[in-house]
Amino acid sequence: MDLLQGTLEMLVLRTLRAGALHGYGIAKAIRSASGEALEIEFGSLYPALKRLEAKGWIASSWETSEHNRRAKVYKLTAVGRKQLLREHSKWAEFVRAVGRIMGAAPEVKG
Amino acid sequence: MNLKYLWPARRRAEERDMREELDALAAIAGRQELGNLTLAMENARATWGWVWLESIAADVRYALRALRSQPGFVAVAVLSLALAIGANSAIFSFADALLLRPLPVPDAAGVFDISSTTPDDPFEGISYPDYRDLREKSRSFTGLLAYRLTTLAAATDPASPAQVRFAALVSDNYFPALEVTPALGRGFLPEESDARGGGAAVLSYEFWREYWGDRPATGSTLRLNGIVFTVVGVAPREFTGLDQFVRPSLYVPLAMAQRLAGAAANPLEDRGQHNLVVKGRLRSGVTRERAQAELAAIGAALEREYPKTNHNRHVAVRTELDRRVEQRPQHLALIKMLMGLVGLILIIACSNAANLLLARARARSREIAIRLSIGAGRLRLVRQLMTESLLVALGGGAVGLVFAYGGILLLQTLSVPSDPPTVLGVELDWRVVAFGALAALASCVIFGLAPAWQTVRMDFVPALKDGARGTGGGRHTLGRDALVAAQIALAMVVLIAAGMFLAGFRKMVAAAPDFRIDHVISMDTAPALLHYTPQQTMAFYRQLVDRVRGMPGVADVAMTEALPLAPAQTFMTVVPEGYEFPKGHEKAIEFGAAADAGYLRVMRVEILRGRAFTEDDRAGTRRVAVVNEQFAKTYWPQQDAIGKRVRIEGEDGPSEVVGVAKTGHYLFVNEPPAPYVWVPYAQHSRARMTLIVESAGAPSEMAAPLRDVVRSIDANVPVFNLRPVATLYESRATGTWLQLLQMVGTMGLIALALATTGLYGLVAYTVSRRVKELGIRVALGAGRGDVVWLVERRGLLLAGAGIAGGGALTAVAIPMLAAGFHGVESAPATVYVLAPLALLVVCAVASYVPARRAARLDALEALREE
Repeated sequence: MDLLQGTLEMLVLRTLRAGALHGYGIAKAIRSASGEALEIEFGSLYPALKRLEAKGWIASSWETSEHNRRAKVYKLTAVGRKQLLREHSKWAEFVRAVGRIMGAAPEVKG
Repeated sequence: MNLKYLWPARRRAEERDMREELDALAAIAGRQELGNLTLAMENARATWGWVWLESIAADVRYALRALRSQPGFVAVAVLSLALAIGANSAIFSFADALLLRPLPVPDAAGVFDISSTTPDDPFEGISYPDYRDLREKSRSFTGLLAYRLTTLAAATDPASPAQVRFAALVSDNYFPALEVTPALGRGFLPEESDARGGGAAVLSYEFWREYWGDRPATGSTLRLNGIVFTVVGVAPREFTGLDQFVRPSLYVPLAMAQRLAGAAANPLEDRGQHNLVVKGRLRSGVTRERAQAELAAIGAALEREYPKTNHNRHVAVRTELDRRVEQRPQHLALIKMLMGLVGLILIIACSNAANLLLARARARSREIAIRLSIGAGRLRLVRQLMTESLLVALGGGAVGLVFAYGGILLLQTLSVPSDPPTVLGVELDWRVVAFGALAALASCVIFGLAPAWQTVRMDFVPALKDGARGTGGGRHTLGRDALVAAQIALAMVVLIAAGMFLAGFRKMVAAAPDFRIDHVISMDTAPALLHYTPQQTMAFYRQLVDRVRGMPGVADVAMTEALPLAPAQTFMTVVPEGYEFPKGHEKAIEFGAAADAGYLRVMRVEILRGRAFTEDDRAGTRRVAVVNEQFAKTYWPQQDAIGKRVRIEGEDGPSEVVGVAKTGHYLFVNEPPAPYVWVPYAQHSRARMTLIVESAGAPSEMAAPLRDVVRSIDANVPVFNLRPVATLYESRATGTWLQLLQMVGTMGLIALALATTGLYGLVAYTVSRRVKELGIRVALGAGRGDVVWLVERRGLLLAGAGIAGGGALTAVAIPMLAAGFHGVESAPATVYVLAPLALLVVCAVASYVPARRAARLDALEALREE
């Protein structure tokens, strides 16, 4: 399933609320949280991380993981947390509005 | 965009970090899992916002590559621009020296000139008592300073002969008011404005270096006009005084004026001696208008209080530039003319470069079309093309500055031999470089934008079909035709203007001098610097003339106060009797000098009516004067001047005109006829006279014996300006004009060369585009002559259009360029014939070269050409 435009950044913020993750970890987390429905390309996720970092919503640091591997992990900043709240309500509004128009899925006659 | 990424090291660190991060992830997840990392990195870099920077670097690299592939094009474009920018920069530096350079003080724009004006003279100085009152009462200035230039006989030790040096007699606040801090020592103390104290002197940097090397000068003594002065400081190197062409070697308190002059009365107490230059630095927040209003009110109060000396006298506050322009309008006229000519040349060069770029753009249309069709942004392409233009312009600017430097070296030789020397400081300083860079940038915008715009507006489908060698005929080159015609038109304006000035200047150079210049040598002496009384001075000069007359090889001797065409002329305030002055005026200031009985004879100045002075015109006999014809014509029109009387300010009674001499040139060879009045030296003592010696042999051989004669009378009397009159005449009358002739002539040649290059380029280009068509014509039986004519006709049509346009432009431009020049009123008819003819011939030749190439085409080769 393709992502709606502009939702990737929101999903990243939401995913990082649970805790710090490295780049690939974020991609995996989104995939599993969506029940494997959303296939996140790392190629588009990575620039999104850099954009969020440039905006100051997430911050990165080098850490050593459980398997003694160094990786750069990202975590939500205070500003990012506030931004996530805003995005959340905007998203909810969007879903309600679209839902009102679309209604329940029509029956498909066999 | 994040500014910190402008820093390359920062970008590299970020890049390293990114690679490290991705390598680590690849180790965790496997490279396959991560997909296209190159794209990911590219997009990530975009968020850092330095992509634009790298794309500019890429633009520059690409532009350099594109330009390298066409060295001919680059050379012609760069050379065109370099010639124009070089000429512009050199002339700018000349204008800078002549008019524009600000005072060498910090925040020069805040310093204003304060002078007094009368209906008869808009530029009089200010007397010391008036200065003192202005300084005490005004609130508009942080400091008002006064000074006066003079020459002093300076000796660093009593044994050596004194040297005549320029010096500024300055008020005690001179340095602090200008915010100039001495490089060594200090400025003057308020108590040093008390004449009873010992003399204190500040040296100019140059003078210090010349005499002291790098030994500290402060505390040492020197003798000025025989008085011992103590050096208290040295002015900073960049401070060369407040006058444009005179750099004082010394600064001495005004309070010493009386002792230095050996005068009986203190000139500082004389409200009638309006001879000080006053300048002031405006308090912040005060406008010039407010200062003007305040000083005008103080001036009006002074006029009421001292009607005798200040009647009709007003105070004017001017900016430095205004003062220079108003005082020397001829400099402004000269600069306007030269800047106008080089400005036209810059336009020609720019259109030349634009034309070359347009030709290149046409040749590259296929490349551009491909880039457009695969989705290159049009703006991006404009930027690319502008980068190329900018590189060409910068190249032109850089080479242009080299040319400018050559021109400046030439201009530096423009000077008047004078002793002590005056300077016209034409220099290649940062302002000239900045001007050159600005000219380059402006030209880049002018010549680069149009071709870039035209290129990207292109419809790329036909361009792709057509290929680089489309058959695009006349329609496509319409813009370029117009550019070339405009170049020819402008070149014609420059040529006609150059011709006009050449003819005018030549007239001056070729005009016979209106006084004798061969076999005469002049010598200045200044016994007054040694505190001679007027009687002693007169005795000294009498003795000098007598001894020189007895020297072997001397044919005749005379004396005058001012040699004609010397840069320093003397003036007299005159009231010719019977002349009705215009309302508000009561006297006139005219050229005038004291001369002895031999002067008009030795200088071969023709007496038209009446007589010259004789030995019988002595002190005690009737006061007499000789005027020139212009004087007689101005003040006694249609009357006989002989027997008329003229009052000369500062004299007890009127003088009777006994002779009328032929009008000559007194300050410049191109000045309009000016009135002149001579009075006999025997009736009017002077502090300083110029001796003129007519020699039997070469005048320069008289120099050493003349010096010896002065030494035999008084070894301490300084001798200066000892040189053949011809030397002075050549530099003043011919030297400067010859150099102007060269300058203007060079400009004409540059304009001609540039316009020709433009025409040649266009015609050659058209031929190369029409190879196929011409080939067909030849194959169908067209003769060589037909082909030559076909090409030649095009060149001549362009030249004709340009010449017609130039004719129309000339009518507008020439009066503007010639405004303010005397002796250069209109171009002679020959110039109007020769300039278009020269253009036509040169254009014909320029188009014949490609025409012949076209005629030699092998039809088969041409048809195959793709």
